[in-house]
Amino acid sequence: MIRTLKLYGTLIGFVTILVFFSVQLPDTFLTAKNLINITQQISMLAVVACSMTLVMVMGDFDLSVGSMASLAGIVAALLFSMGYPVSVGIAVALLVGVLGGVFNGILVSFFGILPFVATLGTLTMFSGLAFFTSGGKTIFGRDIPATFSGFARSGLQLDQIGLVGLKLPYLSLVALLVLVVVWFILEQTIFGRRLYAIGGNQEAARLAGLKVRTLRLCAFAMTGLGAAIAGLMYASRVASANPTQGSGLMLDAIAAVFLGMTMSEEGEPRVLYSIVGVLILGILDNGLTQMSVDSYIREILVGAIIVTAVAFSSITKQSR
Amino acid sequence: MLSIRNASKSFSGAMALSGANLDLAAGRVHALMGENGAGKSTLIKLLAGVHRADAMDVSLDGHALALSNTEDARKAGFRFIHQELNIVPHLSVAENIFLGWAYPRHFGFTIDWKRLEQQARAALLRLGVDHIDVTLQAARLSTGDRMLVKIAGSLVSVDGEDARLYVLDEPTAALSEDEAEKLFRVIEQLKAEGVAILYVSHRMNEVMRICDDVTVLRDGKTVLSSPIVDTDRQQIIFAMTGRDLEEAHPKRETPIGERIVCAASGAATEHIRDVDFELHEGEIIGVCGLTNAGQSELLQMFMGLSAVVRGSVTVAGQPAPSSPFEAWQRNIAYVPRERRSEGLMLRRSAQDNMVLPHLSSLSRCCGIAHSKAEETTAARLSSSVRLKAASPRQSVYELSGGNQQKVVFARALAAAPKLLLLDEPTRGVDVGAKFDIYSLMRQVSSEGCSILLTSSDLPELLGMCDRIIIMRDGVQSAPVPADTLTPATLLAQFYHLEAA
Repeated sequence: MIRTLKLYGTLIGFVTILVFFSVQLPDTFLTAKNLINITQQISMLAVVACSMTLVMVMGDFDLSVGSMASLAGIVAALLFSMGYPVSVGIAVALLVGVLGGVFNGILVSFFGILPFVATLGTLTMFSGLAFFTSGGKTIFGRDIPATFSGFARSGLQLDQIGLVGLKLPYLSLVALLVLVVVWFILEQTIFGRRLYAIGGNQEAARLAGLKVRTLRLCAFAMTGLGAAIAGLMYASRVASANPTQGSGLMLDAIAAVFLGMTMSEEGEPRVLYSIVGVLILGILDNGLTQMSVDSYIREILVGAIIVTAVAFSSITKQSR
Repeated sequence: MLSIRNASKSFSGAMALSGANLDLAAGRVHALMGENGAGKSTLIKLLAGVHRADAMDVSLDGHALALSNTEDARKAGFRFIHQELNIVPHLSVAENIFLGWAYPRHFGFTIDWKRLEQQARAALLRLGVDHIDVTLQAARLSTGDRMLVKIAGSLVSVDGEDARLYVLDEPTAALSEDEAEKLFRVIEQLKAEGVAILYVSHRMNEVMRICDDVTVLRDGKTVLSSPIVDTDRQQIIFAMTGRDLEEAHPKRETPIGERIVCAASGAATEHIRDVDFELHEGEIIGVCGLTNAGQSELLQMFMGLSAVVRGSVTVAGQPAPSSPFEAWQRNIAYVPRERRSEGLMLRRSAQDNMVLPHLSSLSRCCGIAHSKAEETTAARLSSSVRLKAASPRQSVYELSGGNQQKVVFARALAAAPKLLLLDEPTRGVDVGAKFDIYSLMRQVSSEGCSILLTSSDLPELLGMCDRIIIMRDGVQSAPVPADTLTPATLLAQFYHLEAA
């Protein structure tokens, strides 16, 4: 009974939230339009949470993802404003993400700095860089090409499956793609197996012949790339880039992974569970906004849910 | 003095203890033996009040005693010295001794450090220990001294709560021979004070030497309970395993090869030097000495874990590997000393643990994991090491110590090793699992694999090894054929290498 509750508690909570909003918002919540809308709203968070899972599998963190997302947006927008084509702007922004991740990885695995401390440092650095390069201003309007901002506004037409007039936003598709890729990496590749082994016991993994440093570095690089992708998605969606626009992503992403961890039997992060965490946060956001609940209340609720879920799973762990 | 009747306890349906009995007498050392999983730990935890028994009648001096929590056990005068020593490394010895008890104070207010140190010293002296400085940081003590400190700590008592019973759980597992000797003297001292001692150990020699009585558990039941003088090794082993172990150490049946697999000449690392020997195909060389005399480091040198700074070390004609990664690539396999911290990912499955170094060779292409191959390999390995687990999918955390060690062993075997480095492979492992491990060593050796083995179990070294190397303060002695040695001569050489 306790075991069931432990494993499915978070899932039960998720369903409860769904039912609650369906009852409270009978006309607007459980509609195809709103659900599709939710997938778009959570797409950036989903990308960051999926890539955050890669490092959290090893027991590490990356606190710099939020400011990396902002920085990537700024870099792309700056290049656009200087007249570079969209493809170049995107490529350079993604490269910045990878390099930032590699930098985190070097600090963590080669200098042996605790991920918490190292990425707290780079959080500040990336954020400072974003402010410095943008001059602290939002880049918007004519500087952002229509092809770039148009991406977030378009999607796959869903007429053929009976949802006339609706489209599945490209942003949701990107998130889905990232999810599939991360799932494949973690669950189907040797690389993923090794990341989990490092999370299980880093020293044992090293003695068993794993190149722990390189592996950690790669995982951090991927997380950096994920953050940059999310930053570009954000910039496209709001058709502008601002040096603080990604900052909310980090805490929510870690929260989502933690929520997911409570669902796994071994207490390990699993990317599919991380997505459930993202859905919980996203649906709360969507529903509470529709009920015009104060956003501060939403924060209190989200915090309480995380604490409850994690506390519950650790209590049941102790009573074994 | 203390009598336990019908102790029973089950964990989620599995009976850990079913009606075990144990009688302890004041001033006597009572051995508690049994294979891993026989219920020893459970019985101790019931005594300590950590778990609540499903059924158990305990009487102390003829009065019924309830043990529902750790406080009850403490009040009854039970003291527990665990395998894993929980000392606080950055506190002083004196503070560690007083941990959990009220520090002496000036006027009940500020801590009276002088008196604290005095009382700590007195507690150590009661054990006949005068070589430990109580103001020293506990981190700087040897493992053996830490254990003495822990015992001294349990001697400190608050009013009217004198210790009546000491439970020592595998106390010598991490001790060198000389440290163990010190501990035995302390045990004599405690006996003389009239307390009862429950001594849990896998080591037959120790038990025969220092214990007065023995109780053997098997499958949660008491199968033997007798004064030591009325029994013998054979009978105890039979009681533990339910079968006769004719030969504790299987004999070599195939000759040692001619080819030299690894060679060291004048080699030195940061902590060891003058390493000079040749290991032949299929040969087993034992590396021994006092605690931390450089045995582990010698093995690590071949694993790429400690760099060779002088001299030459070759494995299969090539220089020693520079990293564990390279070592595994070159079919050098390693069973590290600390299976929990260095060997295993405890929360992960036996399968994940076994195939970890071999993921790429099991993959069909492009770094994609081949789950089927991993499963079949794990299944094959499990059966070849005779792993007792519900399935290879079971988490290692749930396995007994002996089976955990078999998982680490299986991982090494899967490398089809040319050189196998075993650092204390049977520490804390029960008799049956030990025998399985010995048989596996013989088997791989007969297939041409050379083995370097460290062990603090001298009969094991003499029984399994062809030649023995003694390390003393990081300096190696010339290899000696094992059949010319006895445990006594070996021990003597630990101290007086030059006399050899």
